[in-house]
Amino acid sequence: MPRVILGYIRAIDAMNYFIGRFAMYLLFVLVGVLLWSSVSKTLFTSSHWTLETAQFVMVAYYVLGGPYSLQLGSNVRMDLFYGGWSVRQRAWFDAFTVLFLMFYLGVLLYGGINSFAYSLGRPYNATTYEFLSELLSTLFSQGFDAAGDKLGFMERSNSPWRPYLWPVKSLLCIGVFLMLLQSLAEFFRDIGRIRGEAL
Amino acid sequence: MPYEMIAILMFSSMMLMLLTGQRVFGAIGFVASASAVFLGWNNGVDIPFSAAMKLMKWYPLLTLPMFIFMGYVLSESKIADDLYKMFHVWMGPVRGGLAIGTIGLMVLISAMNGLSVAGMAIGATIALPELLKRGYDKIMVTGVIQAGSSLGILVPPSVVLVLYAMIARQPVGQLWLAGVIPGLMMATMFIIYIYVRCRLQPHLGPALPEDERNVPMAEKLRLLGAGVLPLAIFAVMMVPFVKGYTSLVESSAIGAMAAFLAAVLKGRMTREVFETSVRQTLAISCMFMWIILAALGFGAIFDGLGAVKAIEDLFTQQLGLNAWTILILMQLSFILMGTFLDDTAMLVIVAPLYVPLVGSMGFDLVWYGVLYTITCQIAYMTPPFGYNLFLMRAMAPPEITIRDIYRSIVPFVIVMAFALAVVMIFPQIALWLPNYVYGK
Amino acid sequence: QAPIKWRFQTYAGAALGEFVTKPVIDYINTAANGEMEIELFYADQIVPTGELFQALQSGTIDAVHSDDDSMASPTPLQVFGGYFPLATKHALDVPVLFEQYGLADIWRSEYEKVGVAWLSAAGQDPCNFNTKKEVTSLADLDGLKLYTFPTAGRFLAQFGVIPVSIPYEDAEVAVQTGELDGMAWSGITEDYTVGWANVTDYFLTNNISGAWIGSFFVNQKQWADLPEHLKSIVMAGIEAGHTYRNQWYWGGEARLRATGDQLKLRSIPQAEWKTVEDAAVTFWDEIAQEGEIHSKIVQIFRDYNEVLGKAGPPYSFG
Ligand code: NA
Ligand code: NA
Repeated sequence: MPRVILGYIRAIDAMNYFIGRFAMYLLFVLVGVLLWSSVSKTLFTSSHWTLETAQFVMVAYYVLGGPYSLQLGSNVRMDLFYGGWSVRQRAWFDAFTVLFLMFYLGVLLYGGINSFAYSLGRPYNATTYEFLSELLSTLFSQGFDAAGDKLGFMERSNSPWRPYLWPVKSLLCIGVFLMLLQSLAEFFRDIGRIRGEAL
Repeated sequence: MPYEMIAILMFSSMMLMLLTGQRVFGAIGFVASASAVFLGWNNGVDIPFSAAMKLMKWYPLLTLPMFIFMGYVLSESKIADDLYKMFHVWMGPVRGGLAIGTIGLMVLISAMNGLSVAGMAIGATIALPELLKRGYDKIMVTGVIQAGSSLGILVPPSVVLVLYAMIARQPVGQLWLAGVIPGLMMATMFIIYIYVRCRLQPHLGPALPEDERNVPMAEKLRLLGAGVLPLAIFAVMMVPFVKGYTSLVESSAIGAMAAFLAAVLKGRMTREVFETSVRQTLAISCMFMWIILAALGFGAIFDGLGAVKAIEDLFTQQLGLNAWTILILMQLSFILMGTFLDDTAMLVIVAPLYVPLVGSMGFDLVWYGVLYTITCQIAYMTPPFGYNLFLMRAMAPPEITIRDIYRSIVPFVIVMAFALAVVMIFPQIALWLPNYVYGK
Repeated sequence: QAPIKWRFQTYAGAALGEFVTKPVIDYINTAANGEMEIELFYADQIVPTGELFQALQSGTIDAVHSDDDSMASPTPLQVFGGYFPLATKHALDVPVLFEQYGLADIWRSEYEKVGVAWLSAAGQDPCNFNTKKEVTSLADLDGLKLYTFPTAGRFLAQFGVIPVSIPYEDAEVAVQTGELDGMAWSGITEDYTVGWANVTDYFLTNNISGAWIGSFFVNQKQWADLPEHLKSIVMAGIEAGHTYRNQWYWGGEARLRATGDQLKLRSIPQAEWKTVEDAAVTFWDEIAQEGEIHSKIVQIFRDYNEVLGKAGPPYSFG
């Protein structure tokens, strides 16, 4: 295997491991928010941000934890035939089927970026690509304020708390992108197995 | 393309994808997104992502990591060991008593977690070796543990019923209560089966020898106290919820904390237990979430392309069947699919097709939720695909072969199918308790 | 020639959609005689309500029945759809405001700017409260978690209401799981039709708005591509639907208040409710500050309400 690929696998594994370990402890943030919700309700008045905050934390939990769960091998497979195959046979199949997974993740990411652009107020007659590239180029050439002027109607959650939605949408995009990177690492690993190298 | 063709195409390609042994969520997500892109839906490509926003808004899913965490704390910290001893001492003198006690243990554990994982883990690691040592028949005890732990999804809290509630938009509280009596009924049926079987064939489950039976009464009573702990955790979680002081998701967090604190106070929350519980909770939650995400996208695309209508037409118009025939056919097809489809995937893909049809035929959807869960229990145990089978294979001692595991479930699946029929014929078994508690 | 196919998603769940949207779709499908087929989907069925506008704009969904508020319209009109606090008294006020006072032109042009064709608006039921707890004074509203429209929630927050936003179809369950204490969402007809009357006990006759404002929207390109005769059929179907809903709600509100046996009627005395009416005046002023379009629309509401006040009953209450 070329050194570049080995380096890629190691780097992605390490990054997603680190992010996944962080996401793992979000469980306690989730517990905290929900406990606060029940305590505050009994002691004084209900907080209206708790449910939505919990929902955002849950998104971070499973979307940032996703690549780590791929590493842990916790995603179920139907092993009717798979269970009986040799390591090499499995690697052959996995090398192909991981491409299906990457197609799905690509579609998710594509839709996610569209939705992210919408949340920043993309004009309806501009494509997502036109809008985001103009936004980025303005940001780099003229700074934050000028880029801010390019933003349109900012999407907010329709709850009374009305948080902006771009943070959670960008979080989802990042998480899906990390899943894609991890899937590619898995693909390389399968190729390695086919060639008899453990990576 | 005609709707029927789309339905057949999407289903068959998903089957094919699953047979390759790839990750289930990848298979579902691929078929969904490829259909959205290639079957002529203008901009259908955005649907898989919009499913993520749908998932985020569905608040009962917040309970999922909580109940999973509870289950892991319980099994990893071994606070269930005392419970096992309690049943051991009290039930030991009876023929088959340890197996009967194991069912009792499983019922209590079911009341403290939302899946069957914890029950399986506790059963396979604590109960199974003891039972084998006492000369119990290995095939029978393997079945006892798989069947008993499957009660985890029927006795509240239940993750499967939360997922069902999400799909059928039925109240989780009522669904949970609806599962109580059928769950206890099924446990009783298991016990009767074990008792009768051991009466007829005493060698399958010998009574404890004389010297082991003589436990002082004081010790017996002390062990009875062990049964209080799970009941206390259950009460701390369920009472404020049923009373309306806390909401569903808040209660699940309280339950998770209660289990955690119990383990800490009993001195069982070691570094290792903590690490395993937290990591496994992430792993299992992610597995569920990504499958649900893919399946929600699949459902919306399947529906938007008109395939749902094709299936409804097939059942109600073209085949011209009556409501009960359709219902029975559904359960049969469900069990059949459950033998070779991934259980969670089946849950989130098949249910959206069946539930609206069941509702439109005038059946009670809370009652159907119970039927559905019992069917899932059966699916969890029937080879070749089933979580309980997998777990059993992973945890059982080497003398238990896969053949043994497959054979062991037969009588219990028959008992469960019988229970399913009983609840079908007498809906009040499920509906009496929720109507009594929530009735206006 | 293959029929023109539209995917249409309504704000309403299946139980309510049967009355508020399905008649329109059935009319169009029958009248189009195979040239056009609209497939109706209910709340959140294809895309979640929060993503509905984006889906309509990009053509994932071809047409929508919703109010501007709950579909999070990216226009200044968002706050006026659904229930703008105490802006209307009866369902008929809505077509008058749109056709005679100029709202239709504003709506058409604002949606044109965001790539959506606005077709028609109509009034529906008032916005009353249905709750588990008894409400007989303003103080009773304090601390209630209610399912309501975003703008209505913003308005009601000053009386201690905790507005909760969840998917429409989950509201009934949320009352049972304790996430909600009730709704400030509709009149009594909807409470009974949707099943909310099964989970709540009291109906407050005071309303924070006399008529829901909701519209029919189509993706701009799909509408432009539709042949003229089919456009006429679509418009005729929508008008027929308006007529049907008018009698369905008007009759339903009266009959269920008078004879419904699941919700007990309660009222906050008019003198006390005056606080809410005064708050609405302040709220209108605040909204008018938010922009040119906002102030123009608020002025139209003021003008119209002045006319109603001078006209006396039945246009105004006493
Ligand atoms: Na359970
Ligand atoms: Na199975």
